[in-house]
Amino acid sequence: MEAPVVSWRGVTKRYGDVAALDGVDLDVPRGEIFALLGPNGAGKTTLISIVAGLVRATAGTTTVLGHDVVADYRATRRAVGLVPQEINFDPFFTVEETLRIQAGYFGVRLSSDRLEEILHALDLASKRHANTRALSGGMKRRLLIGKALVHEPSVLFLDEPTAGVDVQLRQALWAYVRTLRSRGTTIVLTTHYLEEAEELADRVAVIAGGRILVVEEKVRLLERHAAKTLRVALSAPVASLPPSLLALGARLEDGGLAVSVAAPPGASFGPALSALAGAGLPVRDVETRRMRLEDVFVSLLKQGEPGDGP
Amino acid sequence: MIGLGPRTLFLKEVRRFLRVPGQTVLSPLVTTTLYFLVFGWSLGGRLKEVDGVPYARFIVPGLVMLGAVTNAFLNTSSSIMVMKLQGTMVDLLVSPLSYGEILAAFVGAAVVRGMMVASVVWLVAAAFTGAGLAHPLHAFCALALVAIAFGALGFLTGVWARTFEQVNFFPTFVITPLTFLGGVFYSAEMLPGPLRTLTLANPIYYMVDALRWGMLGRSGAGPWPGLAAVAALCAVSLAAALAVLRSGWRLRG
Repeated sequence: MEAPVVSWRGVTKRYGDVAALDGVDLDVPRGEIFALLGPNGAGKTTLISIVAGLVRATAGTTTVLGHDVVADYRATRRAVGLVPQEINFDPFFTVEETLRIQAGYFGVRLSSDRLEEILHALDLASKRHANTRALSGGMKRRLLIGKALVHEPSVLFLDEPTAGVDVQLRQALWAYVRTLRSRGTTIVLTTHYLEEAEELADRVAVIAGGRILVVEEKVRLLERHAAKTLRVALSAPVASLPPSLLALGARLEDGGLAVSVAAPPGASFGPALSALAGAGLPVRDVETRRMRLEDVFVSLLKQGEPGDGP
Repeated sequence: MIGLGPRTLFLKEVRRFLRVPGQTVLSPLVTTTLYFLVFGWSLGGRLKEVDGVPYARFIVPGLVMLGAVTNAFLNTSSSIMVMKLQGTMVDLLVSPLSYGEILAAFVGAAVVRGMMVASVVWLVAAAFTGAGLAHPLHAFCALALVAIAFGALGFLTGVWARTFEQVNFFPTFVITPLTFLGGVFYSAEMLPGPLRTLTLANPIYYMVDALRWGMLGRSGAGPWPGLAAVAALCAVSLAAALAVLRSGWRLRG
């Protein structure tokens, strides 16, 4: 297997008696969009802050492209771009100056082509000479992404990138994240918008209480955890169900106007549909519903105890 | 050859204070010029000469020193405070800049501002009292070392402070009183015993004294004690600032 881009080994972070991270082992494979999911205070931001050099771990080692983030910080920071959760801006400078200064910190002289590319990709070209103070909230957030990209990092950390962002901008940011991934940039995304992870992520890690509960490819996670429900709407109410359906766990809902059958992940609804046809019920409509990532996430958190993951 | 990283930070810090010249250059210019006019001209007529030089000329080194000290200090302390409050400190902390590079860039910009204000104050004073410098190199070294030391102290204060009130504490309650009581407006020889002893225990007295020797060729303690005191303060403040930066105190979690 190819070496991971980012690797945490036994990483613990304590603030007094409180463990924000408790022995985290985690690898981020190259070229993926990796979502770190967890409730507020789970340790997501702490985990990525350790990689970026904003927080020092109490114990454990963290590497980026095989380099230790403490001992070899110059190499790791050149490889990492961070879009922080909190919007920041320097009121003394314009958009272009801000990007050039940030590139300079990384020892990079921003070429005109690269500057144009970033400004256009983030729809900031018209604000190039505007003071950052004059930007809207959405523009400031896009500028944060631009600043994180000036040195062409191998891995980009996006900490809650679409918090407080309108639908249109969110879609545009998601599209740009996919473009970056297609160019070979590894993306690590922290979010508590499950919709965002479901839309974007190749792989998902669920973190709670400073411990990793599960790490898995999103598709497989959904397949493995996502139960299905078959719901049949009836045109006339029925008082009871035949034994063939009851044996499959079917139950009546909506005062006898609907039948619902649940199936575990991977199971077929074939027997249920045959039993329905055999029972001669007045079927009006049929719909199936698969658990979404949000349901899987909630169920994982309910299983709760760290270590219950696969 | 200075790398692009620290050079970028240094130039950014210089451009930052040049963008608000009214606050960073004009304001200290007006303040120190007023000191000069009030103390030098209105009171100077009664005091005639101190240490063999006209009083108006005697106070020039102290006012120049006050400009350098205050502005070097405020440049680093307020810039770091603004970066902390605006959240842009993150941009610096995630960069590959070393601790030494970060400190050198901040202190370098503080020295530029301190020397710039000191030069402007001196030029205004020169228009009234003459521009002659007795030992220009000595004067330059004393000013530069003082600006480095107070740039580093400002850096420490900026890292320590959580509010602008705390940033202002040091110049208001430490620098200004020590400078006023450090022989800016009088010679230690003019004071009675206990006050004279107190003045001689004030580090700012030696800094002003070193600059006075460089500018006027007059000194209470001779040319070297002042310079040595400033060099020692430089070493201590730079070492402390570097240690604090390295520890991550109040900057990194």
